[in-house]
Amino acid sequence: MKKNWQKPELEVLDV
Amino acid sequence: MTTNQKFSLNQEVVQGKNNIVSEMGEEKVMLSIENGKYYNLGEIGGEIWDLMQEPIKGDQVVSILMSKYDVEQTECEEHVISFLNQLNEESLIEIVANAMQWSTN
Repeated sequence: MKKNWQKPELEVLDV
Repeated sequence: MTTNQKFSLNQEVVQGKNNIVSEMGEEKVMLSIENGKYYNLGEIGGEIWDLMQEPIKGDQVVSILMSKYDVEQTECEEHVISFLNQLNEESLIEIVANAMQWSTN
């Protein structure tokens, strides 16, 4: 069974 | 190799150097030593990152993801291109080369 797709996003973390 | 061009699916990409990657739950986070920024690649983004340990063509990435996820090809291609362009703009990946084009005479 295939997994649900979510759009991959690059998140820049404020560290 | 170059890191400032737009990516297309017939090009090979590979992870850039000087990044420290760590698992955070199911997601993958990364520190770029070059620019001092932290990034969250997310779950699927982390999976794409792992696929780029060795040079791989964009359309191969799409094929692998489509075999594991419930997604249409067009949507998957658009999302992968968008994500890889994000990585490329941050100089986190390297675009190796255009794929060789064969012609028959």
